[in-house]
Amino acid sequence: MKEHLEQICMTVNGVPRKFVIGDGVGCVSPSETLLDTIRDRLGLTAAKRSCEHGACGCCTVIVDGDAVASCMVLTADCDGSSVTTLEGLCDPVTGELSPLQKAFADNSAFQCGFCTPGIIMSTKALLDQNPNPTEKELTEALSGNYCRCISHYQVIRTVMGFINEMKRKEA
Amino acid sequence: MKKFDHIKVRSYEEASRVVREGNGAVEPIAGGTDLLGTLKDRLLPDYPEAVVSLKGIAGSRYIEEKDGMLAIGAGTTLKQIAESPLVKDYCQALSEAACSVASPLIRSTATIGGNVCQDVRCWYYRYPDSIGGRLECKRKGGDTCYAIAGENRYHSIFGGMCTGGSSCQHACPAGTDIPGYMAKIRENDWAGAADIFFKYNPMPMMTSRVCPHGCTQHCNQSVYGESVNIPAVERTLGDYILKHKEEYYKAPHKETGKKCAIIGAGPGGLTAAFYLRSAGHQVTVYDSHEKPGGVLRYGIPHYRLPKTIVDEFCQALETLMGIRFVMNTTVGRDVTVEQIKADNDAVYFGTGAWSQPVLGLEGENLTEFGLNFLEEVNTYLKKAMGENVLVCGGGNVAMDVALTACRLGAKSVKLVCLEQRGEMPASEEEIQMALEEGVELYNGWGLGKVLESEGKVKGLLAKRCLSVRDENGRFAPKYHEEDTMELASDFIILATGQKVELSFLGDHLSSQIKTSRGLIDADAQSGRTRAQGYYAGGDAVTGPDLAIRAIAAGRNAARTMNLDLRPENGGEQQSAEGAEELAKERFTTFNVEGVERTKAVRPGELPASERSLTGEDRSSLDQEQAKQEACRCLHCACYAVNPSDITPVLVMEGARIVTTERTLSAKELFTSKLTVQDILHRGELVTEIRIPRASGETHYDKRRVRNAIDFAIVSLASAFEAEDAVVKSCRLVLGGVAPVPYELPEVEAYLRGKEITPETAAQAGEIAMKHAFAMSGNEYKIFMCKDAIYNRVMEAGR
Ligand SMILES: Cc1cc2nc3c(=O)[nH]c(=O)nc-3n(C[C@H](O)[C@H](O)[C@H](O)COP(=O)(O)OP(=O)(O)OC[C@H]3O[C@@H](n4cnc5c(N)ncnc54)[C@H](O)[C@@H]3O)c2cc1C
Ligand code: SF4
Ligand code: SF4
Ligand code: FES
Ligand code: FES
Repeated sequence: MKEHLEQICMTVNGVPRKFVIGDGVGCVSPSETLLDTIRDRLGLTAAKRSCEHGACGCCTVIVDGDAVASCMVLTADCDGSSVTTLEGLCDPVTGELSPLQKAFADNSAFQCGFCTPGIIMSTKALLDQNPNPTEKELTEALSGNYCRCISHYQVIRTVMGFINEMKRKEA
Repeated sequence: MKKFDHIKVRSYEEASRVVREGNGAVEPIAGGTDLLGTLKDRLLPDYPEAVVSLKGIAGSRYIEEKDGMLAIGAGTTLKQIAESPLVKDYCQALSEAACSVASPLIRSTATIGGNVCQDVRCWYYRYPDSIGGRLECKRKGGDTCYAIAGENRYHSIFGGMCTGGSSCQHACPAGTDIPGYMAKIRENDWAGAADIFFKYNPMPMMTSRVCPHGCTQHCNQSVYGESVNIPAVERTLGDYILKHKEEYYKAPHKETGKKCAIIGAGPGGLTAAFYLRSAGHQVTVYDSHEKPGGVLRYGIPHYRLPKTIVDEFCQALETLMGIRFVMNTTVGRDVTVEQIKADNDAVYFGTGAWSQPVLGLEGENLTEFGLNFLEEVNTYLKKAMGENVLVCGGGNVAMDVALTACRLGAKSVKLVCLEQRGEMPASEEEIQMALEEGVELYNGWGLGKVLESEGKVKGLLAKRCLSVRDENGRFAPKYHEEDTMELASDFIILATGQKVELSFLGDHLSSQIKTSRGLIDADAQSGRTRAQGYYAGGDAVTGPDLAIRAIAAGRNAARTMNLDLRPENGGEQQSAEGAEELAKERFTTFNVEGVERTKAVRPGELPASERSLTGEDRSSLDQEQAKQEACRCLHCACYAVNPSDITPVLVMEGARIVTTERTLSAKELFTSKLTVQDILHRGELVTEIRIPRASGETHYDKRRVRNAIDFAIVSLASAFEAEDAVVKSCRLVLGGVAPVPYELPEVEAYLRGKEITPETAAQAGEIAMKHAFAMSGNEYKIFMCKDAIYNRVMEAGR
């Protein structure tokens, strides 16, 4: 088999990162998932490790504009990608929450909060691509994010309210 | 996840090469949403050393129009497909199907290429290795399908699909398609069962009686209860065939003008004769005995195989098929092999193993040779012998000898053999029978010398056998010379093996085809020897072995001889009609209640006191009983459904799949074999999917438990052209209900030209489910299918 020590570059929350793919110390293993990398290597623990089979959405991050289940993506496959995690939504200097996060907090759109980072990332990806979604489009966009505390209703209400708020502000 | 390497490539060609050169250790990965799940749970026994990523292949994601078709790059994500206006324009159903897959999180990385190649979702198959070990089910190359008698809610309602033979078939030396003929018998199609059987073996009436039936030991029913009584069912089929012998032993339609000679009229020779004659060759069988049958006639006792059956079979070969028998002719003495060869185009040796091996035992000349003993009794039904018989040997021949001696009226019958009880080569069933009839077993004793007085046998001095085989499993008995025992007897029969005798070959041929071990040197598969035009098989090649092995060898040799005689006919070409037939029969079914029965149907058996030398111990099952037993066959195959939402649409639309090697129709790639991987070669990758513009309105209706993430329980890809509520044309393909997308040509034909009414819509659903076969836990899928079809038809009329 050929020698394939590769280097990959990606930006995580705006910060350029370089990883060497390989088995050595400090290298990213070729079989490492993006979720492992961001949590265990970069310490960005908002994305949660849960089902690890792409079925719960707790590990959702945004890769090149799309919400993805980071547990089902190999880091080695992310060369040149731009990754955003929940941590990347707040102000990098002050740490102030983004308006969307604030809306979640203000409306208590969660119970235990385990699924919330994933839900916020899915919502964020949707709003970036479609700032004015219908409720149906929103539910569809969140259909891969499970919440065992049944916070969904509160989430939908919060996000729809947030969208209206934004629209009002713009007008 | 267990580690693997990650290989980046720039093109599909490069990826193909890497996979090919990886020799099974390299897997392609596209989005990874399916493959990573498989790897995380270590579902498969083989774990890849590396994955080759198709993600980096530039220009693999596109949706465009090409030559009037919609062309989609294999690397295109389902999200792109679901959102593309061009896809909606060409085929709304594909857009809907893509949108129905999993959740947005998966669709943004999952590719269409990976989707159509994804693995199944059967929960037994998916059982993670980390909790108690993965299940090596049938689909993974194991023996059993756990879903047949287990939880099968998400499984097929149209039957399973074979995955390279069942375990009983593998255990059968002739490779008989046992579940195949069992299925026919379940349908009461005895002629169909016979046709399948004849592909492997032309004499079920014999093998059902004489074969040790290794198949039953490997039958998966034994996991739940008793094995399927395969021999009993086979015997009833044999009875059926003899009853209709005119249909099964027929002269060929056309004579080829070629001539074949068979030397040896035993099971192997007769099998070769049968298949060669069926192929149109003139066949002459030579044998030194008075009547044909070989061991079937002279070795196996009447009570196991009545000679009337052997007669009937051999007569059918002679009078119905036109095979010529030259009996009472010892080749090598009455006629030379060369003379026979001069008259024929090909010669087959099926001469068996008939000679007595010399053991070098003191007093050996006073003993009787087992096979001679059986031959005499089988011919004259009587035999002068002593009162206290001692049989030496632990194999099936020894058992036959011992039982025959009992039934001839011996006062006592002892059997002495080297092996301990559990190591005896004879089948357990026969040992049991011998014990029942009063045979005394002396296990673990070797032959010392024959004790005599004035030329009369008095008994045997036996010495303790310490071990039969050496550490390599080779026959090398070790004795304790001092530890001896005297066994009194006035008649000793040596049934410790037979020897192959080849002097009839003559010096010239011997030098070419005789091995140093005194056997004929012939290829195990083809039966060819090094001498052109000479073929051989059976005991003469292998040393003493089972009749069914000789039958398989005779069949294989006949195939080779036929090919060699008529090379222009090449590999048997399958007619288009045959392919259609195969397609129809590609789903396996079983009897839902039958497989739950743990007790086998047993034929009547005479009590030990009533058994005789000539009458058969066991009766046949009648056809109804045999059918009941055939209902217990699980029809081991894979019953998982293809989980892809995309493939039913592609089949419905007549899409073309472009790979790195060729272009295939969606139907061929997705419906002709159990898995896509069975069709794609190693390293062959899907590169593009081409879809013609749909005519009429197309949709993909997916029924599932939750409306996100879940796989389809039932889905329907449909295309309708309707005018004024009359169907002009339609295409319907079901997903989630069979191992492959399930087409509904009968429903399409029914709906064409029909006015859409609730009655026609309901009838369409009924027709669609005509061949449905619910497993124990999934009948509701039938109702869901009917409902989906009803709604879609009604919708088309709006
Ligand atoms: C939670 C969850 C839910 C799902 N639900 C659905 C569903 O409802 N419906 C559905 O249809 N599927 C579903 N899937 C299955 C599947 O993961 C996706 O459908 C997906 O499309 C697979 O694509 P991929 O690119 O991720 O495949 P991969 O995982 O990369 O590959 C799948 C297989 O195909 C092979 N392969 C990939 N590309 C090619 C190629 N070009 N040529 C030849 N072989 C190739 C790979 O070697 C691998 O064996 C679901 C998966 C998950 C995890
Ligand atoms: S249905 Fe197929 S995958 Fe499931 S247990 Fe049976 S053989 Fe295995
Ligand atoms: S259940 Fe049927 S197919 Fe399966 S091993 Fe037994 S006889 Fe063969
Ligand atoms: S942890 Fe990734 S989807 Fe559940
Ligand atoms: S808030 Fe607890 S899992 Fe969603």
